[in-house]
This record gives sequence, structure tokens and C-alpha cells, in this order.
Amino acid sequence: MSTITQAKPRKGSWDRKLHWVATHSIGIALAIGFTTPIVFVFLTAVMSDKQALSSNLWPQEWHFENFLRVFEKAPMLEYMANSLMYSLLATLGVMLSAIPTAYALARMKWRGRNAVFLLVVAAMMLPPQVVAVPLYDMWINFGLTGTLWPLVIPYFLFDAFSVFLLRQFFLTIPQDYIDAAKIDGCSELTALVRVLVPMARPGIAATALFCFLFTWNDYFGPLLYTGENKGNWTLSLALASFRGSHQVEWNLTMAATVLIMAPAIVLFLFAQKSFVKGITFTGVKG
Amino acid sequence: MPTQAPPKGIGAAARWARRAPLLPALIFTIAVTQLPFVATLIISFLQWNSLAPENRGFAGLDNYIAVITDPNLRSSVLTTVLLTASVVLISLLLGLGIALLLDRKFRGRGLVRTMMIAPFLVVPVAAALLWKHALYNPEYGLFNGVLKWIFGESAAQPDWISTMPLTAVIAALVWQWTPFMMLILLAGLQSRPQDAVEAAFIDGATGFQVFRYLTLPHLRQYLELGGLLGSIYIVQNFDAVFTITSGGLGTANLPYTIYQTFYQAHDYGQASAAGVVVVIGSILIASFALRAVSSLLRDEVK
Repeated sequence: MSTITQAKPRKGSWDRKLHWVATHSIGIALAIGFTTPIVFVFLTAVMSDKQALSSNLWPQEWHFENFLRVFEKAPMLEYMANSLMYSLLATLGVMLSAIPTAYALARMKWRGRNAVFLLVVAAMMLPPQVVAVPLYDMWINFGLTGTLWPLVIPYFLFDAFSVFLLRQFFLTIPQDYIDAAKIDGCSELTALVRVLVPMARPGIAATALFCFLFTWNDYFGPLLYTGENKGNWTLSLALASFRGSHQVEWNLTMAATVLIMAPAIVLFLFAQKSFVKGITFTGVKG
Repeated sequence: MPTQAPPKGIGAAARWARRAPLLPALIFTIAVTQLPFVATLIISFLQWNSLAPENRGFAGLDNYIAVITDPNLRSSVLTTVLLTASVVLISLLLGLGIALLLDRKFRGRGLVRTMMIAPFLVVPVAAALLWKHALYNPEYGLFNGVLKWIFGESAAQPDWISTMPLTAVIAALVWQWTPFMMLILLAGLQSRPQDAVEAAFIDGATGFQVFRYLTLPHLRQYLELGGLLGSIYIVQNFDAVFTITSGGLGTANLPYTIYQTFYQAHDYGQASAAGVVVVIGSILIASFALRAVSSLLRDEVK
């Protein structure tokens, strides 16, 4: 087997070298091309006030204190606390609501299961702007517009994408384990908590990660509900307006951008495996 | 099959008793996902402007007629289709190329993959700001900076956003979505049965033939998935349009127009009708994209 694999290129060593060079140079060029914008943001963030407004590409002096100046210009800590509250509470809510729903859709047998799953997929395809009108009206009646609660509370009830993703993960865990637990006298709930959840931990981690990223990135939601109440703004909202109020300090806008991008990128570096798994698992059939 | 084992009679009651703890979640699922949309549907047939609440009443198809006849709304339908289709197709093609490259073994592959994923992780608003100001800005943007660096002081310094607004939005979205497509397709490539590929090579197939007759048919499911998810999310895109062009210069897509109708004109009925049009549109685009991809492949599977 291995000899066959090695014989695969079969052509002259010149060809193979050319191939090696081509693969590497395209790979390097792509990697640089796709990351340059991000690197450039970082470079601009540490430029002096004056240089940031020039067409220079490389900082003459490195002003790392720009990152601290951002905190003086705007209540970044407050925005960060709001963003964290939104993302953490939503992730907690998804764990409580989506795990049982996904279990019922993946591993319980009942009439109408497929129809309900179709509804979940349909809900996933529903743009948030489409249902914004009746929901906004409802939250006005509850007196909660201007806060982040209209964004957090729904996650404690349901989130279509998380249910979908978790169901795909649960399907990969053999039914036999659950059947065995039930023969031993477990109820559905115990089977879920004791058997399925421990086995599906990577999938649950990926779902939590996606939920955190999605809410951290959310712009439309906070804009709609907290747009007029600055005290409840999230980082993404603050960033968009930072530029408007600090027109000249372009380097500081970029420093704020770095501060907002950083958590997601750090989170990704730590959890790269479950992140990639999460994306690829959406394709599991069933 | 032990689950089907319990005898009828006591079985049904016992089964429901065991399931009971999970039922609330299901009822919520149905109530929370479908009711808002039903409400949107109902509102779309109402005349309801929150600035004139006393005029609330049944409007029949008026809102839909307004959506279809209003030139602004009509052009935003066209923009949505154009934007979604080009971003999905370009990022799928680019993603396929990069996935094919990363499927080969070479030193630094892991690093290249990590760097490639980075754009997908950037907060969309930050990405839109980054493209608008850090890259496109005519005075201190990267693009014009590079032009100056290469061609010297006399280099052309175009104002990218006002000369090609829609292309500017598309480029920013392609940058963010290519990594996503690449990841899905890479997963597809790595699940490809290796022995068939090796056998084909032994039988003297060229690399291109293997790609066309083995790899591409195998990837079909993954291409469809990427196209579907991409369409769903790009039809909804709000951040890029709102940030880069504020919907001006003919780049307003439907989500942006809905936001305007709702938040600035306070016309709830018309905003809802436009929302229903978005849903129908995304279903149409998604199924069209699926059909396009599968018909491309069907000829080659034969």
C-alpha cells in the first residue's frame, strides 16, 4: 500500500520540486492575502495620531498606549460588561433550552418529530428582521425596550441554530447507549443528563462557542433594542459610533477594533478543534 | 429494538410519563419559532403605522403592492439577489480552490489554515469598518497605500466605495465568507474515500480527471450545504450594508430597507410585508442555488 502511495507522483523529481514550490507559494500568498487586512488594523492601531491619517503602511513609532487611551475616550469597560452579559447569559440560556429540545428531536421516538424538525430548520432560515416588528411591539408592551433583555430572554426558550447543531451531534451517538440506560430503568431525562450529555461534550462545547460568537458579533439586535439607550450598548454598537465621535483619532478607532476582535480570536485559538468540528458537523445527514 | 418492546396499553401511558419532562421544551419550540412569523404575516395585511395608530385596519394586499411597486423596494429586491448570489458563488469557488490546496500535505499547512479562518472570526461590524476605512479609504486606506508604494507618488488614488459601491460590499463579504466555505469543503475532501482515488491514479487517470469524476461528485453534498447556509445568512446581511454604504449608492438590500421602513418610517405593515417577501426570496434563492449546483454535477456523475 505505502509503496503505491509513494509512487503516485511518478514523474521526474523536477516536476515534484516545481509542484512543491507552487503549493507553498500559493499557500503563503493566500494566507498573507487573507490576513493582511487584520494585520493592517493592528499596525494602524499603534501608529501615532498623525501617521494613522497618512497612507503609510508601517508604523514609524510604536504607540502601544493607544490601547489604553481607548478606555479614556469611551466607557469601554461598561460596553464590554454589557457585551459579556448578553453573550454569557444567552449561552447559558441556550444550554438549558436547546439540549432537551435537540434530544427530543434526535433520540426520542414520537409522531410528528420530523414535522417539528422542519419547523426548526424553517426558523433558522428566518431573518431576524422579518419577525422584528411583532417582537418589538411585544417588548414595548413588556416595557423592556432599551435593555438587552429582549435579546437574552429568547435564548432561554429556544434558538433554532443551536437546536439544529446539537441534534446533528446527538445523532452521531449510538442509540444503543440510551436504550441500555432505559433498560436499566432510566427515564428520558436521566438518560439525557447521565448518558448523552457526557458523551456529546465536544458538540455541546461547539454549540456554546457558536452561540457566544454569534451574540458577541450581533449588531442588529442591540441596535434595534438599545439604540437609544447608550448605557446598555454592546461593544459592536459602541465601535460603530466610535468612529463618528473620534473622527480624527483614526488610530484609536482601529485600537478599539482590535480590542473587540481579540476575544473571538483568542477563543478560537483555544477551541479551534471544536469550532471546526461544529462547522463540519452541520453536514451530517439524518 | 428495546424501545418498542413495552406492550400496548400500559405502554403508551408509561412512555408519556417518561417523556413528560421534555415536553415543555417542545411546546416552547413550536410557540417561539412559529408565532412571531404568523404575527408578521398578519401584520403584513394590516395598515399600521405607529405614528398614526388610529388608522389601524385591514389593508388587504396594499402593503404587498406597495412593496412591489415602490421603486426603492424593487431595487432593493434586485440588490439582495445580486449581492447574495455573487457572494455565495465567489466564496464557494474561492473556498473550493483553497480547500483543494489545503487538502495536500505540506509544511505549515496548519498555520495556513488557521490564518485562513481568521476573517470569519472578525466581528462583522468590525470587518465592515475595517474594509470601509482601513482598506477603501482614499487617503489612508491600505489599497491606495499599496498603490503608492508600488507606483510612487503619482499613483492613481481611486475612491473605491463611491466608484464601485456594490462591488465594495461584495468584496468585504467574500473575504468573510470564503473561510466558512473552505472549512465545509475541506471536511468534504477529507471524508473522500482514498482507495478510489489511488485506484484511479493507478489506472492512469490524470489529476484533473480524478477531480472531475471522483472529487466533485463526492463534494456535491458539501457544496450544497455551503451554498444553502451561505444564502441563508447573506440574504439576512445587515451589518455590511449598514456600515459600508449606509444603504446608499444603490446598495440597500431588503433587510436594510425593512429596518428603514420600520425604524424610521414606523410603517409596521409595510415592513412586515417586505419581511415576508424576504422569506419567500431566500427560499427561492436557496432552492435555485441548490438546483444550479446539482445540475452542474449531474452531468458528470453519469
